[in-house]
Parts: sequence; structure tokens; C-alpha cells
Amino acid sequence: MEISPDVWVLYEWRGLRLNATIVFTWGVMALLVVLSWIITTRLSEGETVSRWQVMLEVVVTTIRDQIDEVGASDPERYLPFIGTLFLFIATANLLTILPGYQPPTGSLSTTAALAICVLIAVPLFSITRRGLRAYLKSYLRPSPFMLPFNLISELSRTIALAVRLYGNVMSGTVIVGILISVAPFFFPVLMQLLGLLTGLIQAYIFAILAMVYIASASRAQHKNDPAPDAEHSRTSRKGD
Amino acid sequence: MQIDWLTVAAQIVNFLVLIWLLQRFLYRPITDAMARREARIEERLSDAMSRRKEAEDEAEDLRKKREELEKSKQEMLEEAREEADELRQRLEQDIRDEVEQKRETWHEMLKDERADFVRELQRQAGHKLLNISGRLVAEFTSGKLDDRIAQSFIANLKDLDTNTRKKMAAAADSADGPALVETAAALETADRGKVTRAIHEEFETDIEVDYRVDDEVLLGVRLTIGEQTVEWSAARHLNRLNRELDALLDSARTVRRRKTAD
Repeated sequence: MEISPDVWVLYEWRGLRLNATIVFTWGVMALLVVLSWIITTRLSEGETVSRWQVMLEVVVTTIRDQIDEVGASDPERYLPFIGTLFLFIATANLLTILPGYQPPTGSLSTTAALAICVLIAVPLFSITRRGLRAYLKSYLRPSPFMLPFNLISELSRTIALAVRLYGNVMSGTVIVGILISVAPFFFPVLMQLLGLLTGLIQAYIFAILAMVYIASASRAQHKNDPAPDAEHSRTSRKGD
Repeated sequence: MQIDWLTVAAQIVNFLVLIWLLQRFLYRPITDAMARREARIEERLSDAMSRRKEAEDEAEDLRKKREELEKSKQEMLEEAREEADELRQRLEQDIRDEVEQKRETWHEMLKDERADFVRELQRQAGHKLLNISGRLVAEFTSGKLDDRIAQSFIANLKDLDTNTRKKMAAAADSADGPALVETAAALETADRGKVTRAIHEEFETDIEVDYRVDDEVLLGVRLTIGEQTVEWSAARHLNRLNRELDALLDSARTVRRRKTAD
């Protein structure tokens, strides 16, 4: 049984395989970009606003508010990265209701790619905000002995991020596949509905966790600032 | 659980491209549009506020102007009323003056008329008196009144006081023209001769004497030599009568006025 769209190769050229993950990713990307483009070309700045524009504005402002709630002082700065994470994962997961569609987030390669992006984004945002020295110093907190643990934490949370999303989405697909063979009529539909909910929740968790990592690394460290610990506890609470 | 690192690289690229595309087509347009709308609403709000302020200022201005207008209207009305009062008083005064003047003119006219009437009365009374006296004298003395007048004149001339006599004599001496004897009725030639003689004797002169009739002399004789005049006539009595008549008329008028006032 295929559990990853990576192995579904659609085209091969001199050893470069164009698998379903990439193709469906492109599809999701195209859908997002085309929808955005169509709506934003007819933006209104007056009192009367089209309902599509209202939808986009609600989405964007909600993401911005969420970023703000996490504690980042400048939501506009993180909006493209966090917003794209959420929109991409949510769209990729919601499209599972289409027959024949394999969510690219069900591939560990995709989730790993997204996790690597977060892994790189965290120090990037932190360094541009606080400087390299302050960022590196944060690994020696609260004492230099904690350096290895900090490094492990950085890596492990990235892996956890990737595996969590992959596991949830893949398990949904697998469960539906198994159920179809066991009880082909009613249960798969229920599981699909549940899968839609899980997909949205996963998109939210992924984006929020990424934002929490970035925020905790970017925030100026004060001696008595309990914020990083609080964020860590929040991270563990939100993790599966 | 397998990772295709080529796919991972491709997905990283895909994700970065998606970030760029969404930033280009979604986030920036939407946030820009929202910011512009907010700015616009802010601008319109502030515009509305400033307009409201303007309108309030204008309303305040208008209110002040209206008050001023009302005030000036009141002032003008007051002024006009005062002018009208003044004009009315002036006109009243004019009319009063005019009435007063007319009354005075009327009084003058009345006085003149009364004087004329009195003169006429005097003249007629004189004539009546003359006639009655003439008739009485004629009846009781069986002589003529002219004769009595001439005799009386001569007697009076003889009784003339020294001072007057001297003045008359001096006037007769220095006179260029003749002496003038005026009577109400023409004297007869015999009487004229007696009178002429008496004058010549009393004033010791030979002056020529002319005779003339004058209604005003009334029952008597007036002798004029140069500047000097002596007169014995009923005129004195008539003047007295005049005065009494005046007094009588005045008292009658006073009584009438008092009655109209009551």
C-alpha cells in the first residue's frame, strides 16, 4: 500500500522523477495564487467591498491577529511566512475531499521541507532583529552547560514539527484506505470529515508553533523574563 | 517513512516561491488596501469633523450676525420713533405757532375793526349830538347853533390863559400863511366876521383868516395859526365817550371768555 505520494511517479527524465507530491503542490500553489490574483485585482478601497475580498481580508487579519497574540511585536514582518505556512497546509489538507487527490502534506518530504524552512527561518528572523551575537548567546542561557540541550531542543522540535504533520495527514489517508476495504460505505465519509477537521487543526498548529519558535528566539532576552519558558510550556501543550 | 531529498529540495523551493507569490498577490494588496481604506476613513472622519466644526462656526457666526441685525433693527426702530416724535412735536409746535399767529392777526383785525367801528360811532354820535344840540339850541334859544358856536369860540378866546395867548400871538406874527378856522358846519358870514374880528383883537394882529369845514371837529372850533392850535369842540366829550365805550367792550369780552372757558 502506498502511503506516500512521493512514490507515485508521474514523469521521469534522466533520473529526475516528477512525483505526485510536487505536482499536487503545484496544483495547490496555482489554486492559491490564482484565487488571490483574481480577487486582489478587483480590490475596492471604498465602502462597498466584495464578499471574496472580505473573506481574504478576514483570513489575512485573523492570521495577523494570531501572530500578534503569540507576542510578536511586528505582525506584518512575519505575515508572509506564517500566513503561507497556514494557507498552504490548510489548502493541501482540505483538498483531500477531491477524489484522486493525494495531499502533499502526507509526504514526509514536504513536511520535512516545511520544517527545514522553519528551522532556517527562526535564526534568520532572530538575527535580523537582535543581531548574531545576541542570537548565539541565547544558546548559552540560562548557563553554558545548557548549550547541547538547546541544540538538541532546536533539532528535535524541527523533527517533531515535520513528523507531527506528516503522521496526522498520512494516518488520515491510511485510515480511510483501510476503512474502505473493511466498511466501504459509511465510515470512510465520516473519517473524511474528521480528516478535514484534523487537517485544519494541523495547519493551525504548524503555523502557530513556527510563530512561537520565531517569537521566542526573536524576543529580547531580559534577565527575569519568563517568556521563553512560558512559550516552551505552550509548545508542549499544543504538541500531540 | 521515507524522505526523498530531491523532493524536499523541490518543496523548499516551491514553498519559497509560494511565499513570494502570495506576498505579491495576496498579503501586500490586501494589507495595502486595508491601510488605504483605513486612511481614507480616517481622512473622511477628520474631514467630517472639520466640516462639522466649520458648520458650527458658521452657525455661530450667523447667530451673531442675526443678533446684531436684530439689535440694529431695534436701534433703527428706536431712532425712527424718536425722529417721528420729534417731527410730530415740531409740527405741533408749528401748528400751534401758526394758530397763535392767526389768532393774533385776527385780534389785530378785530382791534382795527373795533377802532373803525368806534370811529364811525364817534362820527355818527357827533353828528347826532350836533343835530340834537342844534335842535335843542334852536328850540330853546331861538337862535342858530353856528351863532352859539361862534360866540362860545369868541368867549373862550377871551378867557385864554396868558401863556397860550402869547404863543398864539407869536405864531400869528411869524406865520407866512393865513390862520385857519375849522368847524363841522360852515359858519355864516356874520359869524365869520365876528370870529375874524375877535382873533385880530385878541392876538393883536391883522392876519388873514380862512374857514374850512371839517367833520372831525364836531360841534366846536379849531383854530390853527402856524404851528399852534387851540380847540374847543365836542371832540373832548367824544373822546371820553370813546374811552368809556372801550372799557365797556373790554369788560363784555372778558365776561364772554370766562363763559366759554366754563
